[in-house]
Amino acid sequence: MRFTRRTVAKMAAGLLGASMLMPVGASAQDMPAPFDNPGDVEIALVRYLSTGDFFQAYLSGVEAQAKALGVNLRVLDSRQDAALQADMVDQAIALGVDGIIIQHGLTESMKEAAQRAVDAGIKVVAFDVNVENEAIPQIEQSDRDLARLALEQAIKDNGEEWKAGYVYVAGIAPLDRRNETWLQFKEKYPGIEEVAQFGTLDNPIANSVANQARSVVTANPDIQVMFAPYDEFAKGVKIAVDEAGLTDSIKIYSADVSTADISAMREPGSAWVATAATNPAVVGEVSVRALAMLLAGEDPGQSVIVPPTLITQDVLNEGDIKNMDELAAKLPQFAHADVAVPDWMPLPPRD
Amino acid sequence: MGSATFRATFRIAGLRKSFGPNEVLRGVSLELRGGEVTVLMGANGAGKSTLVKIMSGIYRADRGVMMLGETPFAPSSPAEAMRAGVVTVHQNIDDGVVGALDVASNLVLDRFNGPGRGIFFNPRRTRREAREVAQRMGLSIDLKADLTDLPLADRQMVAIARAMAHKPQVMVLDEPTSSLSSHEANRLFSLIDRLRERGVAILYISHRMSDIRRVADRIVSLRDGAISGLFEDKPLDYEGAVDAMLGQSLGQSGIAARAATKPVFEARDLQLKPGATPFSLAVGAGEIVAVTGLVGVGKTLLSETVFGLQAPLAGAMRLDGTSYAPATPAAAIARGVFLVAKDRAKTGIVPDFNVYENMSLPFLPRLSRLGVTRRGTERAAARAQIADLKIVCRSERDDLATLSGGNQQKVTVARWLAQPSRLLVLDEPFQGVDISARHDIAAKLRGSAGDRATLIFLTELDEALETADRILVMSEHTLVGEHRNENVDMERLLADVAGGQVGAA
Amino acid sequence: MTEKLGMDSQLAEKTNADRPKPAARAVLPMRHLAIRYGFLTLLFGLIVFFSLATRGFTSPQAAVFILQSVSITGILALGVTATLVVGGFDLSIGSIATSSMMAAAYVMVVLEQNALVAVLACLAIGALVGLINGLIICYMRVPDLLATLGMMFLLIGLQRIPTEGRSIAAGMTMPDGSTAEGTFSPAFLALGRHRFDFFIQNLVPASVVVLIVLAVLIWFFLEYTRFGRMMYAVGSNARAAEFAGAPVKAYKIWAYVISGVFASIGGILLAARLGRGDIASGNNLLLDAVAAALIGFAVLGAAKPNAFGTAIGALFVGVLLQGLTMMNVPYYTQDFVKGAVLVIALVFTFALLGRTR
Repeated sequence: MRFTRRTVAKMAAGLLGASMLMPVGASAQDMPAPFDNPGDVEIALVRYLSTGDFFQAYLSGVEAQAKALGVNLRVLDSRQDAALQADMVDQAIALGVDGIIIQHGLTESMKEAAQRAVDAGIKVVAFDVNVENEAIPQIEQSDRDLARLALEQAIKDNGEEWKAGYVYVAGIAPLDRRNETWLQFKEKYPGIEEVAQFGTLDNPIANSVANQARSVVTANPDIQVMFAPYDEFAKGVKIAVDEAGLTDSIKIYSADVSTADISAMREPGSAWVATAATNPAVVGEVSVRALAMLLAGEDPGQSVIVPPTLITQDVLNEGDIKNMDELAAKLPQFAHADVAVPDWMPLPPRD
Repeated sequence: MGSATFRATFRIAGLRKSFGPNEVLRGVSLELRGGEVTVLMGANGAGKSTLVKIMSGIYRADRGVMMLGETPFAPSSPAEAMRAGVVTVHQNIDDGVVGALDVASNLVLDRFNGPGRGIFFNPRRTRREAREVAQRMGLSIDLKADLTDLPLADRQMVAIARAMAHKPQVMVLDEPTSSLSSHEANRLFSLIDRLRERGVAILYISHRMSDIRRVADRIVSLRDGAISGLFEDKPLDYEGAVDAMLGQSLGQSGIAARAATKPVFEARDLQLKPGATPFSLAVGAGEIVAVTGLVGVGKTLLSETVFGLQAPLAGAMRLDGTSYAPATPAAAIARGVFLVAKDRAKTGIVPDFNVYENMSLPFLPRLSRLGVTRRGTERAAARAQIADLKIVCRSERDDLATLSGGNQQKVTVARWLAQPSRLLVLDEPFQGVDISARHDIAAKLRGSAGDRATLIFLTELDEALETADRILVMSEHTLVGEHRNENVDMERLLADVAGGQVGAA
Repeated sequence: MTEKLGMDSQLAEKTNADRPKPAARAVLPMRHLAIRYGFLTLLFGLIVFFSLATRGFTSPQAAVFILQSVSITGILALGVTATLVVGGFDLSIGSIATSSMMAAAYVMVVLEQNALVAVLACLAIGALVGLINGLIICYMRVPDLLATLGMMFLLIGLQRIPTEGRSIAAGMTMPDGSTAEGTFSPAFLALGRHRFDFFIQNLVPASVVVLIVLAVLIWFFLEYTRFGRMMYAVGSNARAAEFAGAPVKAYKIWAYVISGVFASIGGILLAARLGRGDIASGNNLLLDAVAAALIGFAVLGAAKPNAFGTAIGALFVGVLLQGLTMMNVPYYTQDFVKGAVLVIALVFTFALLGRTR
């Protein structure tokens, strides 16, 4: 269960592409083998999760980077069927692809399939699934960093002593990782008092969380900070805070971002003051680039981390940012991650 | 016919069975002989199905004995009865077969259960055993076919063949032709002939005179839980059997038969079923006409045709001199044709509703203003009916489920009497009703006849004699006789009921 | 076929003839009272308990908020009550609601229409889906559970197609790369956010008003109009209703249309509250709504689907969940609590009332 709710960012920002980044489209002759003849290279994306904005954006990033490299991309989508996903890896092996990106899945079902691919001489990278294999680099968006950025901003805004409401549902891997950071922060800053914890994934999630949050703020009107490390949660908390008329006394910190989130954060007097986010399209690009490095015989490292960006209400207002495109344009670190970029690597065109 | 050995295979003596205070069987004694078909006739509620259930091990008798050959027979379960050699093919075909399996599996289904069976299913062995069974029975059905794909008759054959796989000494067939066409029934009869030749004692339960004529070696009539007649001299006395089944009490009732004034309802050349003879019918104002006949001769079909639930195959109906062809019950009701349908539990009462809601059900449009119901009006109308029909209840707001059966029936009749009608049709209105309720209803019907035409469908002759001005007899989906309810020629009436041809002969 | 049944029912009748007379019911007034008022007493007890145990539960704002928290599921529950009344069931209400939410967002954000068009589009979708459900069930003879289950899946998928799986928000990027120009109109958002003055300023949210209006409407319709009465008759004994001249299929189809329209109204309020169109299955909305309707069976000893009971059932769940949340009871116990209430209500209905349907 990854997040289903981050609005699409189409591959980012025209200005940047031209001025700040590498020149577009290094020609094939400049690239190491096998990319000197990229039309013969075929890579496969084997997906476990695919519906939702996050995964749409991730796919668009993969497609854009594959196109920039000039390689053929095959997308195999198991639609949350773990067994089928493993079969699809075998299918990709049979098809004779050169590289495989495993996107999500279950360790138990993917571990052996991934090993089979490696045994067949195929280069493999994995995004957000641990296949317990040293030959396979992990692409990660750092959930711990996401939570850390948001909480550091909360400390900066509110000092080290405040009463907090915390939205959390256990058992969801990224939320569990974000929760670790929250626990560390509470230990580090004993002034933080968690007076209420709630959360639900009943969909529509924002509606269900709003109902809960409304009760929580009614029972605990002295809450100053709501830590909702998932934008659906934050959206629900914001609705409740608005309805309870407590926008002035509560500040919301979250993770992830979408166009809808941007407009919610920018509403006049919005309690949602900051969020930390990684651009899923950038994660998709990085996945392909890491795989390309492997194919070219280079080592992207065992763990490829795509760093998140802190997005505050002030930044949004100052830049008059209205959607994800503008966000990418105004915040270069959001539009592009300098990860897995060897000199020869062509980058997607920025329009 | 195996006339050489008349071996008594199965004897019943002094069988009694009560449900609560209600004695359904009061000392039934009966003998079935190998190689003979004994037909059991009985009206609704005579105790036929209780008898069958005791023989097949579903019920236990309160008193009396059953002997299979020289051994006592007292099965405690259907399986035990079957193993002992008494098999029953129930009225409902689908009780006898499993639709989801193929023919072969069905034929040997009973062998899957019981002691000494392996865990594994061996399809080849199943098919081999099934083939043996089929051959023995002269059955030519594709063993691999799915049962649900077979026509009813074939399913019935499979059920019987499967029963035969137990090599029974006694076979009970409970109305086996009730859902078969005449062609299909013929196949069944030849199968019965084969069983008879092999010395099986057969108890054949049926209402259909044509079936009975075809298969019976002897006839036993059951009435009110006791044997009321045994007929074995050839030629068999079919009329006597019907007489015995319907009762000797048929006397002339004290009814002053009224003559119809002008006709209200007319039907011309009506045909209800393919192959049935068309008939005509007229019911006049103020007249109560009873249509009688055995079960399954088309009475309910006619009542449903008049009420717009069925379209006639041919013929036309007229009401008050104008053409009448209702497409729906709503259309019939709009023209003033009401039906008190048979089997109130299924077609009459709304169990969740109270008395007045049940009564006003068909007339809500008339009892509402702008779609909003007027409960005061409804309740007042219901109170009037409760008083009129002597319905026993605390108030019109009682839930219907709390009323006794007879009172529930009164409510369903009252529902249709509450508003004036042109033609009131009642199908078995006295079903499951005690004698006093029956009198209340009949008196109300006669008292309220007015210039309405009334058509009552009744299987019991004495009910018809008690209620009607005129009695029509139905047989094989057509009308075969007409009697004015004054000094009725009972012999001719019974002959009509037993089947037109015999009466004419 | 019907002629053959006479014998058995007659037998059954004879055995039934001497069953206890209705007077026996009055002998147990305590039990009678418990059946009739038990659930309402329990609700009252809960309110008293939470008032004592938590801060701020008794304020008018809290009361209004509880209503608001159940307004969407409550509206769905009232709709599904109509299908329960005719002896049917509608599993598609949750997905109708979310589809209608998506449709509202799509009409305003992508097609750049105003609030009225959005609302009408949603209502039309609800009515159309209900009509299709009814036609499939009545004329294609597909069992209600299966037909509406199929419709549920169909809608969950369908709502993703126009935007290729994206949720809809103002300024979203369309599949072709362009940016949607439309926004949620303020009039539409007011459906989710406007508050009416009621003794206290800005007290009652619009969604609560909609809930109350619809509850009164459907209650009056089912209890006091001949159409409602006939729908109950169809649900209790369809054949008897047919023999009484009722167009049984038409009533069933209407019940599904009502259910569909109510679900779409729920979806409109959802869109107005969230301010965007979310891809969601709506299964939680379905389950909560069905639970409310079933709990309603136990209210006032009705033992049948009824609008008043459904409203109380929804309120009951709302009071319980909001009270527990205020007491900081963990979220994962909430489904358990809902389930327990439902089981108790059903036991109450079927065992205590001794009636089976």
